[in-house]
Amino acid sequence: MRGAGARFGWGLGWLLALQAISGPLGARDYYVYVAAESEDEVSLIRFDGQEAQVVKNIRVGVWPVEIEAPHGLTISPDGAYWYLSVAHGFPYGHVYKYSTGDDQWAQRVELDQFPATMQVSPATGLLYVVNFNLHGEKEPSSVSVIDPETMTEVDRIETGVMPHGSRLSPDGLKHYSVAMMDGELYEIDAVSFVVIRKLHLGKGGTANETMPTTKPTWVYPDPGGEFVYVTNNGTDEVVEVALEQWRITRRFKTGRGPYNCEVSHDGKLLVVTYKSEAATAVWDLKAGKELARLANTRKVTHGVVISPDDRYAFVSVEGVRGEPGSVDVIDLHTLSMVATAEVGKQAGGIAFWKMEDRAPAGKEMGGARP
Amino acid sequence: MRQLAIFGWLFLGVSIMTGQEAESKQDSLHFLFEPDSLYLEVGESATIKISLLTEDDQLSQNAFFIYSGIRKAVSAHPRISDSTGVAVVEVRAHRPGQHVLKVRSISVKRTDRVEKKIPVEVPYPPINLVEFNDPVKKLYAGTTIHYSVTAYDETDLIRDDVRAALSTSDKTVAQFDRFGNLTAHRPGRVTLRAEIEEAAASLPVRVMKSPVRGIELSSPVEEARTGDVVQFTAKALASRAGQVVRDAPVKFSFTGRADYGEGLPASGQITEDGRFVAETAGLYTIYANSGGYSASKTIGIVPRNVRKQVELVGHGLVKDFHTSDLWVWAGVGEFTGRDFAATGTWGANGETYFWEVTDPANLVIIDTVTVDARTVNDVKVSADGRIAVITREGASNRKNGFVILDVANPFDVKILSEFNHDMTGGVHNAFIYDHYVYAVNNGRKFDVINIEDPIRPYRVGVYELDSPGHSIHDVWIEDGIAYTSNWQDGVHAIDVGGLARTESNTPLISANPLLRVAGQGSPTDPVPIAQLEDTTGRNHAAFPYLSQSTGKFYIVAGDEDFPTGFNASEERISKAAGGFHFMDFSDISNAHEAAIYQVPEAGAHNLWVKGDTLYAAFYQGGLRVLDISGDLLGDLYAQGREIAFYLSESKEGVFANAPMVWGPQPYKDLIFFSDFHSGLYALRLVTADKKPDTN
Repeated sequence: MRGAGARFGWGLGWLLALQAISGPLGARDYYVYVAAESEDEVSLIRFDGQEAQVVKNIRVGVWPVEIEAPHGLTISPDGAYWYLSVAHGFPYGHVYKYSTGDDQWAQRVELDQFPATMQVSPATGLLYVVNFNLHGEKEPSSVSVIDPETMTEVDRIETGVMPHGSRLSPDGLKHYSVAMMDGELYEIDAVSFVVIRKLHLGKGGTANETMPTTKPTWVYPDPGGEFVYVTNNGTDEVVEVALEQWRITRRFKTGRGPYNCEVSHDGKLLVVTYKSEAATAVWDLKAGKELARLANTRKVTHGVVISPDDRYAFVSVEGVRGEPGSVDVIDLHTLSMVATAEVGKQAGGIAFWKMEDRAPAGKEMGGARP
Repeated sequence: MRQLAIFGWLFLGVSIMTGQEAESKQDSLHFLFEPDSLYLEVGESATIKISLLTEDDQLSQNAFFIYSGIRKAVSAHPRISDSTGVAVVEVRAHRPGQHVLKVRSISVKRTDRVEKKIPVEVPYPPINLVEFNDPVKKLYAGTTIHYSVTAYDETDLIRDDVRAALSTSDKTVAQFDRFGNLTAHRPGRVTLRAEIEEAAASLPVRVMKSPVRGIELSSPVEEARTGDVVQFTAKALASRAGQVVRDAPVKFSFTGRADYGEGLPASGQITEDGRFVAETAGLYTIYANSGGYSASKTIGIVPRNVRKQVELVGHGLVKDFHTSDLWVWAGVGEFTGRDFAATGTWGANGETYFWEVTDPANLVIIDTVTVDARTVNDVKVSADGRIAVITREGASNRKNGFVILDVANPFDVKILSEFNHDMTGGVHNAFIYDHYVYAVNNGRKFDVINIEDPIRPYRVGVYELDSPGHSIHDVWIEDGIAYTSNWQDGVHAIDVGGLARTESNTPLISANPLLRVAGQGSPTDPVPIAQLEDTTGRNHAAFPYLSQSTGKFYIVAGDEDFPTGFNASEERISKAAGGFHFMDFSDISNAHEAAIYQVPEAGAHNLWVKGDTLYAAFYQGGLRVLDISGDLLGDLYAQGREIAFYLSESKEGVFANAPMVWGPQPYKDLIFFSDFHSGLYALRLVTADKKPDTN
């Protein structure tokens, strides 16, 4: 979206504009769901601008004495349902569907080995899930396409080895994922379910490397639809891929082990989790400059989601062994860590549900949804 | 809200309706299928026109998706209509069954979407062969014989989903009931016929006058205990004194009267070959009949009377974490004469606790090893007491696997090495046998790792089933045979080295039917030798058992089942179900389930067999001890075989007063077990007067 008229300048004008959109600062509640992979639990977190609190813990899975590993989370575009990938099964994993708010389980569908990241296309209404399959032989895995109404697997599209980072273009028509052990970016037509293009993400060379050094783990399209950003976990960089030219246009050297990333809705900021460094960085996309690198409250930083008003980034942090996971809240204005909520072990998948304006005493205010 | 409603749908020439206008239009949309159903043979295809129409039957100008309900059952091409709302779809059938073809309109708002499905019937291939199974061709009047058939379809697959219509050419001679039992009424010739679809089998049968003029019924005992299997022998006798009609079928039945009129009824079981077992004490009369003649014999059944008291000797509380598996072993070197135990932790901090249990009344943690894991599910110690293996799941770097420990000094356990290559999915269970670790890798296979040099372990073999969707849970090695538990694939016995046929080994090899055929496999080349699938899909544990009292060889297969279903873990204190199945492998070619031990309202987990006693973890049902001596048949719980049980209700546990027994291990004269909620326990069986049980 860089270069577009929608871009705001930095500074006071930007802040005022944001306030105009979001109302008085601190008068909103933000809700995110986060999955704790080694706890078989999903937590609903509310952040009121000052404190982040666990509203509810939802036990998930079927086997109380097996860790089934809830990994990926996403919310339907209308906010009515949340979907959860559960990695381990006998042997195949599942995607579960729950209604938001009351968090009632609705249905599930069995997929392939270790279903992970996913998103519902706002255009097709279908759910696209990567089957991460990080176990065993290094063989091509797939992206499953699910009708989230009936939880029917509509199709399974073969991609690369250990696909991860399932995200859709803003118009919902293209699906992007990266194959961690192929070192490639895949673009799928979300309508015809066909792999259209793939791109090797390393410097030179081809995808024939037996073990690519890049080990890409995430891809996120910018809201303007011109670029996608890929975290190369193995080479400590984020690469910018221009979609029209289908080539890498910039490489940003990052901290150790960039893992997930998300672009702010105005296209200005890129928030990157540094898994190996227990930190999260905020980048100015135009300048290609890291604005801040913030230490997380636990080791092993995992996922990130940005609030629709671009005010806060919510970061899931796994922790180690018996240590609780956490959700750290970063103020994207002040570029500072402002709150933390403790959740279950190995917090991973994180999804933004909604934000609600808080009514002043004696008044009712309308809510805002993503 | 991101304005996702404004999309570049011109890309496809598809118009997407948004907003209020769309809502009103979407409300009236409907699909038209031409034709409105499909009937296809496997491999056949057909073309169907599908239109998405407005209320006045005009094309909606709205695209839609097309897909089948079950992947790879029915395929459709194209998967999307044109922008006007029309699709001419080629539908191809891949699998037989009642399938559907689904369509769904594309719209931005979920609630605007219109769906419809039509049936696609893909018939199973026709049956083209029906065969009687080992049919009896000569019957005696007055007897009843069961007949069954096998049906094959055109693809030569055996079809269990069809039922044969059985009939005879002359009902006055012989007649079938609805269950396949043929009763011969009078002498004559008759043709049996089995029909399925267009296929049929005929079998000429001759009914002869029965030479039987009497039945002789005997049993080796006049009195037995509940649970004892009594073999009744019936001889059909001809008119000439003492002449036995060997081909006369004899049917057994029984009646009984319990010792008391209130409470349990007289109950038991008798098999087709005359093996009788009673569940309650009383008088039982067994009947044998053939050709209108019968004989009876009454025996007395007394209570099994194996019940003993159980005494809690010691409890090592673990209250901060869930406890997983345990292993108890004898110290070596300077610790000879002392005893030790290791317990894992579950969903915790990667800790393994080492205990001195020499004084079982005083179970003390003497060392703790912490590794990068959330769950140390399994702990195993080598036979020489020097090396331990602990399994890892939930490592922060996802490099799971197992860790090799030096436990020669249990007060100062040392980590020797980690093995995590290609084990990202985690190792759930493992076993040490000789100088190899057999590790269940990602629930898919077991890997064999050489630990002769425990600092430098390396993989030497892999064994994986090839059945669709296979999954393995546990592996246990005894005498060079790996016993694996594989959920729906059931129990498997795999030769990983057998036993060398030496003078000292010969009796053991001769007694064990699996050892008799073993010897071809090795750790580097495991060879399957026997298996029995589990149609319930619950097979979780397997333990070999050579009956000391009968010489029969069983694999005891344990279930794991949580029938409360989804979100069962919301309750935190789980309600498990399932039991232990005694799979008789005495004849490998005819392995079958002989008996079951299932405790009502409790669920099976791990087990151990020592002598003719089963030590069973029954989760919320506590630790259970079962007498499995003698022949085994039927419902062992109902037969009063239970020796003792203990409910580990610790008020200080992770969940107070909630037994959740994970695994047992008999050791010397004690029974150790781990409880998921409260740690390590030591029990002792005692007689009614509280003296230690020495049996």
